[in-house]
Amino acid sequence: MTTIRLKGGRIVDPANGVDGEIRDLGIRDGRIVALHPGDKVDTEYDLAGCVVMAGGIDLHTHIGGGKVNLARMMLPEDHRLNRPRDSLLELASNGCCTPGTLETGYRYAQMGYTAAFEPAMLAANARQAHMEMGDTPILDHGAYVMLGNEELFLEMLARGEDPQRIRDYVGWAIGASKAMGVKVVNPGGISAFKFNQRKLDVDEDHVHWRVTPRQVVHSLARALSELGVPHPLHIHASNLGIPGNIDSTLATIDALEGLPGHLTHIQFHSYGKEGPKKFSSAARQLVERVNAAPNVSIDVGQIIFGQTVTASGDTMRQFANADLGSPRKYVGGDIECDAGCGVVPFRYREQSYVNALQWAIGLEIFLLMDDPWRVVLTTDHPNGGPFTSYPHLIKLLMDKSFRDEQLARLHPDVAAIADLREIRRELSLYEIAIMTRAAPARLLGLADRGQLGIGAAADIAVYREDADREAMFATPEYVFKDGRLVARRGRIQAVPVGGTHFVEADYDPAIEKTVEAWADRHASISYRHMKIGTDELCSCSNGGALLACKVHGRGRTL
Amino acid sequence: MNTTSNGAAAGAAAQPRTWTCPFCSLLCDGFALEGGASLRLRGSDCPRARAGLAAFDDIGAPRASVDGAACDLDAALDAAADRLGAARLPLFGGLATDVQGMRTLYRLANVGGAILDHAHGEAMMPALRMLQDRGQMFTTLAEIRNRADLIVCIGTDAVSSHPEFFRRCAPAASQASACRVVFLAAGEGTPTAADIPWASAVEALRPPADVFDTVAMLAALVDGRRIDDADGELAALAEAMRSARYCVLVWEPARLPPQGALVGESLLRLLMNLNRKTRAGAFTLGGNDGAQTANGAMSWLSGLPLRSRVGPQGVDHDPLQYATGRLLDERAVDLLLWVASFTPELAPPATALPRIVLGHPALAAACAQPGTIFIPVATPGINADGHLLRADSVVSLPLHAVRDDGLPTVAEVAHALVTRLTVDAAAKEGVQ
Repeated sequence: MTTIRLKGGRIVDPANGVDGEIRDLGIRDGRIVALHPGDKVDTEYDLAGCVVMAGGIDLHTHIGGGKVNLARMMLPEDHRLNRPRDSLLELASNGCCTPGTLETGYRYAQMGYTAAFEPAMLAANARQAHMEMGDTPILDHGAYVMLGNEELFLEMLARGEDPQRIRDYVGWAIGASKAMGVKVVNPGGISAFKFNQRKLDVDEDHVHWRVTPRQVVHSLARALSELGVPHPLHIHASNLGIPGNIDSTLATIDALEGLPGHLTHIQFHSYGKEGPKKFSSAARQLVERVNAAPNVSIDVGQIIFGQTVTASGDTMRQFANADLGSPRKYVGGDIECDAGCGVVPFRYREQSYVNALQWAIGLEIFLLMDDPWRVVLTTDHPNGGPFTSYPHLIKLLMDKSFRDEQLARLHPDVAAIADLREIRRELSLYEIAIMTRAAPARLLGLADRGQLGIGAAADIAVYREDADREAMFATPEYVFKDGRLVARRGRIQAVPVGGTHFVEADYDPAIEKTVEAWADRHASISYRHMKIGTDELCSCSNGGALLACKVHGRGRTL
Repeated sequence: MNTTSNGAAAGAAAQPRTWTCPFCSLLCDGFALEGGASLRLRGSDCPRARAGLAAFDDIGAPRASVDGAACDLDAALDAAADRLGAARLPLFGGLATDVQGMRTLYRLANVGGAILDHAHGEAMMPALRMLQDRGQMFTTLAEIRNRADLIVCIGTDAVSSHPEFFRRCAPAASQASACRVVFLAAGEGTPTAADIPWASAVEALRPPADVFDTVAMLAALVDGRRIDDADGELAALAEAMRSARYCVLVWEPARLPPQGALVGESLLRLLMNLNRKTRAGAFTLGGNDGAQTANGAMSWLSGLPLRSRVGPQGVDHDPLQYATGRLLDERAVDLLLWVASFTPELAPPATALPRIVLGHPALAAACAQPGTIFIPVATPGINADGHLLRADSVVSLPLHAVRDDGLPTVAEVAHALVTRLTVDAAAKEGVQ
């Protein structure tokens, strides 16, 4: 039984309404406990001058699975720089926008993050996604299974299947892939592209199945709500990256009809087509709508200037952008009547009007949102930029003069007209703590994470107070994972295997007959392999803890 | 991690059971296996699977050996740790193993540094270099099964290395489909309509030019460029590809002549053009003997694919320099650790360098030599559990032991070596 006292830190714990109170924090056996001043402890850390937050939680970061691995193989140039190992505990691993899993774990932990969620796990590729996440040390992890483009679902929707059967199917798919939630990517559009359809608007028919993205979004959101899955439907909306796509984004919000939905990398979906270049910010329109829709949460997908790679399930949009690749390479795939993938290396340039405006739009969304509990800090790693740029992004949000300096370096038309110039807001540490840990934990239904209350898991990041917020958030003084010191001033101290979060939902097992019959006719593997069992998950995820979340329908979580 | 399965007792193995085959990268999971001491395939006559299974018929009680002298496992592990610890730069070759084997070998490579390459490294490089230079457009088995109306096999008959390929592409019997299969520059003796009964037509085109020129010509024709002396059959094929709803190009880098990556690049350009108007994708045949798995796991762990060097300075990737043949010929490495857990076909290359072989039991005789340490290991899908990645690098499947031969897995052996080497290193530094 190890007892630790973190003494005299400034606690920022929005989940418990604590904003800057200076007090001690006790840790015993991986949990936060109440300690009296006289209690004996094994180790005491003096945290005078430090800010204490729960460990960071990234709810949308492409860290594992086939397309990420293809991006790694495709971009050896991203891996030429080897960061010197400063700890014998680290195994060799490198890369910036597509780091190896080992490097991913080390770098996240060094930044004070203790959990990360892969948003685009293909059912066909779920084993590999769990293997890669299992080989991402220190971090707890989980994944959202991609639904809404697999032929079985579209077929069920097309024949007007009873919503209860759809619900059962979604429950089955979550259980079979050991997912934490469900993501829909370009609803119906990945499948439509396989039928040679190049565009699919929210109310347009899929050329073969004759269903619309609106129907796909609504039926998935309804299924998740009825199953009681904590994380709302994770939505990569239609028309990613297209000027004027704000219309389809707002239509997608309408499609939810009040059901919970999380619109991801919303920056890429908040474009107008005003102005001389027919490309403009629709951040205000978006935020106005989201502010008024309490069922909707978002993450931003902020872009960061420099080299990265975009890896997405959205083959329809990725193929359309293949010619913009820099360096000019393209990976695309149609996958197993299930989904797809497209990988395009990309360099965001300050002097590009489009890129500069994308940058401004992302920041505008962060700064205009009334409710920080419904906006999560992401770069859609690596699509907007690598996760290692989070400290830089935090500084942009907390420091108006720094933001202005950056804006002044951009394409002159953007620097001169962007709405962002007028936004004076500087986010507080409290708001940053919401957007980087408390809100993602709440949106994922992680009751004992993202907070520092008694009984919570002792995932803790301790930052030395520094007016330069980038420096402060880049290298925390101490990082604890389940009460164990894993990083100290950027140096890795321990490399535990992270746990896997997944949801176990109730559904009528009769649906398995439908899936099995479909598999016999269409799949390339036997039905018995379409499900990952718990023992198998354990071996895939490298023996980490299995953090099952049992849910029992209609939003009741036990 | 799962190792040999005690539940797979010989007595229980008499009934046919569903099985996942580890002997090629298609990982067929629709057949049954029968028998205990002698394993028999039911539902397929796949020659690869039959040969793979037959290699387990008389394995007896396999023993480890050091320099040709039989010994127990611990003695072989001690000797292997000594030699590995003394090596300045070992090559980890073969790498015919599963995910857990690669995970642990990667840890072992990190102890003192090593270069990693697969037995099929040479065959993998055209596809990898194409990916690194241009990318790829791929499709997978279920897409072919449900969507393809034209399959063009370029420079390969597909079935020599992947005998079940066309059966795996077959649409369900109840499904109406019309899919034509064309073999282009694939040599003599390609499958016929009798071999692919579900195809609406099976043809073989043998244009006079070599595969580079043939593919270049086909790409130009697909692109709609006017070529005065174009081969008529090729022009017709290009037209068929343009009017197909979903055309699948099958290629096999291992069958290409040197500089085969150029064929891959032409095919990719062709596919990109084709996809501007209709839909198409490539299926790359390769990745047998765990090559896809080893490359996949290496890439996710380190960030870089095989033919990389791992050590305290980080990871360095070089698809040309870090080739097994070249490293051994030039004596650029000073020890070969060879892993071949699936078949005895993958014998370690001859070399005067010290060798440590984690191998199929039937490799024992070939490895009973001075300078060679042999440790028999279990095979995923036969006498061990495991996971393998399929040829398309999307699907991975679990494999289960069907019997217990008391053999350690590659992961267990690698783990034992890591333990010995790290304890040795700590002892040298005076650490308790």
